[in-house]
Amino acid sequence: MVRALSTGSRAVSGWQMSPQEPKDLRKLGDRLDAFQQANEARNKPPPAQTSLSIAFRFSTEMVAALIVGGGIGYGIDWLAGTKPIFLIVFFVLGAAAGILNVIRAAKEINARIAAKKDGD
Amino acid sequence: MEQFAVKPLIPLHIGGYDVSFTNQSLWMCIVIGAITLFMAMATSKRSLVPGRMQSMAEISYEFVANMIGTAAGEDGLRFFPFVFTLFMFVLFSNFLGLLPGSFTVTSQIVVTFALAAFVVAMVIVVGFIRHGIGFLKLFVPHAPWYLLILLIPIEFISFMTRPISLSVRLFANMLAGHTLLKVFASFVIALGGAGGILSLLSVAPFFLIVAITALELLVAFLQAYVFAILTCIYLNEGLHLHEHH
Repeated sequence: MVRALSTGSRAVSGWQMSPQEPKDLRKLGDRLDAFQQANEARNKPPPAQTSLSIAFRFSTEMVAALIVGGGIGYGIDWLAGTKPIFLIVFFVLGAAAGILNVIRAAKEINARIAAKKDGD
Repeated sequence: MEQFAVKPLIPLHIGGYDVSFTNQSLWMCIVIGAITLFMAMATSKRSLVPGRMQSMAEISYEFVANMIGTAAGEDGLRFFPFVFTLFMFVLFSNFLGLLPGSFTVTSQIVVTFALAAFVVAMVIVVGFIRHGIGFLKLFVPHAPWYLLILLIPIEFISFMTRPISLSVRLFANMLAGHTLLKVFASFVIALGGAGGILSLLSVAPFFLIVAITALELLVAFLQAYVFAILTCIYLNEGLHLHEHH
């Protein structure tokens, strides 16, 4: 619909070249061009993710992994009565998992940005 | 803070459990009612050239369908009703929560964690149905066997973080946004009551509130989108067992 409108307005503005064209038609062409430009700016989809939400995503991935790792370690310690060996081991594993999560999230966001650039 | 307090409206105790109908339950009903009303009104005419309501519904349908198609593939579309319901529920909760005096369902971690746990549980069930015991391959990356001793627990923890990171992200975003609004609103009142030149200054935080409200609208949509797309990505793993490299 928008595309049809844009080619229409371009045809009108191309017509503008001929000198004997009626004045109000030229005006209409100008107005259509202006409208189209304004619309293009407005129709641009908002960025799928703001920097804030990306930062938030990374931090939650990291913190959640630490919580889960620590929680599993604490649980095993509680069951086996080996405080604090497993807590330490699983906290470190949790940190590793957190970094892995962040790397994966970054890869996925990169892929999405690349896909979007291809689309444009 | 008062706006996040869960208050029982109709006290109800069954077998020692408190199952009262709270303002939380009320707003969940309102959210679901609003979605149902919106969809019913949008689809009542079923015209070939859609009106405003109908095209809004069609846009949201296409938006979610595209999201599933790109993130989870064609056979992910079987889960369209699930993802669409989830997306609309979170979106409407976030939006309705922005109304003054309303209650934000998604600012309660119980709600978001229940949603996230349900998503992950479904991924596990779908994975086992699709691949049987082979679903466990998800936890085994390509690596020499002596590294697997270390990597399998790491992959396992990484998988277990999903319900937590999914729920905490939504909950914390909503909580933070509403707290920010409240803090700036209290500035307006405190400055306005201070008298003299300070009263004039109260205009500044007021304009900030307007700006933050606009930002919150974006965040409300974005968080619903993020929740839905991560659901699709997790579903994709359950369906196709993508191996990590």
